[in-house]
Amino acid sequence: MPYSTGSKPGQRRARAVSFVLVAALSIAIAACGSSKSKSSSSASASTPAAATSGPGVGKPAVTIGDKNFSEENILGALYSQALQAKGYKITLKDNVGSTELAYKALTAGQIDMYPEYTGVLLSVVAGQTRNPASAAAAYSEAKAFVEKHGLTMLEPTPFFDTNAFATLPAYAKEHNLKSIADLKPLGKGVKLGGAPEFATRFQGLPGLKQEYGVTPTFVPVAIELSYKALEGGQVNVQNVFTTDGQLLSGKYTVLSDPKNLFGFQNVAPLLHQSVLAAEGPAFAETLNKVSALLTLKAIQQMNAGVSIDKQTPASVAQQFLRANGLS
Amino acid sequence: MHSFAEAFRFIAHNGAVAGQPALPSLVHLSLETLKVGLIGLAIALVIAVPLGAWLGHLHKGSFLAINLGNIGRALPSLVILAIGDAFLGLGLTVVEVALVILAVPPVITNTYLAVDKVDPEIVDAARGMGMSGAEVLGRVELPLAVPLIFAGIRTASVFVISTTTIASLAGFSGSLGDIIANETTYRFSGVLGAAICVAALTLAVDALLALLQHALTPRGLRLLARERAAASRAVRAVTV
Amino acid sequence: MTQASIWPIGAAAPVIPNYAAGSSSCAVHNHFFCTDWVSQNWGPVLWPALRGHIVLTVVAVAIGFVISMALALTAHRYRLLEQPTILVTTFLYTIPSLALFELLVAPVGANVYTAEIALVSYTLLILFRNTLTGLREVPDDVLDAAEGMGMSRTQLLLRVELPLALPAIIAGLRIAVVTTIALATIVYTIYNAGLGVPIHTALGEGPFKTELIAAGGLTILLALVADGLLVLVQRALTPWAQVKGG
Repeated sequence: MPYSTGSKPGQRRARAVSFVLVAALSIAIAACGSSKSKSSSSASASTPAAATSGPGVGKPAVTIGDKNFSEENILGALYSQALQAKGYKITLKDNVGSTELAYKALTAGQIDMYPEYTGVLLSVVAGQTRNPASAAAAYSEAKAFVEKHGLTMLEPTPFFDTNAFATLPAYAKEHNLKSIADLKPLGKGVKLGGAPEFATRFQGLPGLKQEYGVTPTFVPVAIELSYKALEGGQVNVQNVFTTDGQLLSGKYTVLSDPKNLFGFQNVAPLLHQSVLAAEGPAFAETLNKVSALLTLKAIQQMNAGVSIDKQTPASVAQQFLRANGLS
Repeated sequence: MHSFAEAFRFIAHNGAVAGQPALPSLVHLSLETLKVGLIGLAIALVIAVPLGAWLGHLHKGSFLAINLGNIGRALPSLVILAIGDAFLGLGLTVVEVALVILAVPPVITNTYLAVDKVDPEIVDAARGMGMSGAEVLGRVELPLAVPLIFAGIRTASVFVISTTTIASLAGFSGSLGDIIANETTYRFSGVLGAAICVAALTLAVDALLALLQHALTPRGLRLLARERAAASRAVRAVTV
Repeated sequence: MTQASIWPIGAAAPVIPNYAAGSSSCAVHNHFFCTDWVSQNWGPVLWPALRGHIVLTVVAVAIGFVISMALALTAHRYRLLEQPTILVTTFLYTIPSLALFELLVAPVGANVYTAEIALVSYTLLILFRNTLTGLREVPDDVLDAAEGMGMSRTQLLLRVELPLALPAIIAGLRIAVVTTIALATIVYTIYNAGLGVPIHTALGEGPFKTELIAAGGLTILLALVADGLLVLVQRALTPWAQVKGG
């Protein structure tokens, strides 16, 4: 087998290697260069251009996170774009993770703020097992809890996004289902689908058993695949959310929750008290203005815009803010 | 380490999580993973081994066989599963199809190379002894090709079992991937325990295949086993 | 369940834009492949995912290459280290990728470092094995001739052994790059980067065929292009070693 100590093949090799290195370097530079010029949200942290005037100019930068499902992506986009329009320097970190991961990121300082649901905060983070009596109670209890940990919550949204159970109209008719309580006689015969966390949380299987005496066969189904599982027959009853865009279509029957097991889930921005203080009053004002506009219809249409019309959360948020003069 | 102790406790309790009566047991999920994986592997072998062996025997179709191997490696399992899910819905069939698509390339490439590269002098000698083409393939080429073929099968088996666990990301439930993909429910100890189970399953299947390989390797080859292993490593490293 | 005002939050009557107007009917009805969706979403969705994917892969393979080269050179010198190294790297390789990502989150956090550590671990076995085999396969008579010419150990390594081991090393790089590209699709479970992100989004929307085909297709294309590039590099660097099949 030939080997070379001569200069010619050596030179050729050196040239080839340097060519490859230059090519690789130029690709890398092009990639880095284009990333700096991108102004819309990217797959990870995004730093869109902030307005050059407004109460936010000169204030410290804020990192907003959101959990890993599209409604949270929309809320994150809404809050960050509204703030940017007022001159604040915002970095949006999408898909930080589940509630547990997002809360951990917040307390660890990786993010400064994220939109949280009052009931979820109480049951998952505070570990409460009983239901607040009303939405107002849920909000004030949640606020009181976080204030003990150096955090605070701003004003809540009108909509609440609670768990609900959806089923196909045919199945509801067959078993005469109007409320969750009607599932009790079906016992293990009903296949109930939900996110795996549903099995552990009080607002899930344990609560179902305690409040309604319902003990179904549980089928773990990822949130995004809810409607698919329901349509495909993998489950008879599926855990969905009251703000899902799909519910606008009328193809599903939602069971009522007379005992309010799933409680009240208004959304409010959850953030550090120190961040709130550092950003000034206009910060909270802007966020509260946005939250006040989020009615059930508004959020349902935005959810539909993402899941049915296949638009990005950022684009849907932008359209909403523009239409309402907030951006 | 504390987490390992908890993981083993998770395994010992058959995957039970405090307060969760409704979750499937670890044994059940492991067996399901094994079943799904082995079915896929078996189907892939039925397709790939005869095809690769026949092509190698005829010394035809090298471009196809080798590039199929390269392309097969380029197919991310999640993508195959997701596309199958989009067009056919996710059920056992789609997962098995995905597993077969992923398992065939390494097996067919290795089988082809193994049969193709059998020492031509031996093949000539066999033909000179009056053996027909099929006899040469079955009695001479295949036995000599066993080590490299099994290298491909064992590689494929690792792919297959790990892809079965990834299927849960695409929505397929009923494998150990259910645990691994849901740390919220099963906690760190559960994920670690399930990962240990998957690793154990992979090693067990590999060991079984090693036994099978040993049984199928002709005695003469076993005597030359060390030399053969070195040569097949070189062939695998340079051409696969 | 009514959503009437539960406490005075203010009677809001927001303007609700018509979101559907921004989407083609192709996307809304989830047809096979909607080119207008792709061109609309290349900038915000697909290109950042592709770019992130490339960065994840290049960094992982580069680090893995450096580590396995060091390990292989050491094992080449001190044979005893080979078996333990193979054992450790094989063990890392058998841990299912999804599990390795999640297991690393606890100590390292849900960030890019976790993703890279896991991706690097999976490259080690193949790169180490191939590099070591390549170094070992250098024929003894070539080594003897070179030593006879008075080459030092380092010169031997740099001018004889490594160049002759290049085909095996590059073959290993090809496998490592392609496997890393495939594995990086799962990074999204712990860190928001890579082509797995649009795949995950698409899975949740129906699934949304166009986005799946676009993201999945990009992943496969990326792997094929990377593999092809490495074949070209090999041909340029080792013109004498034209192995059948490239």
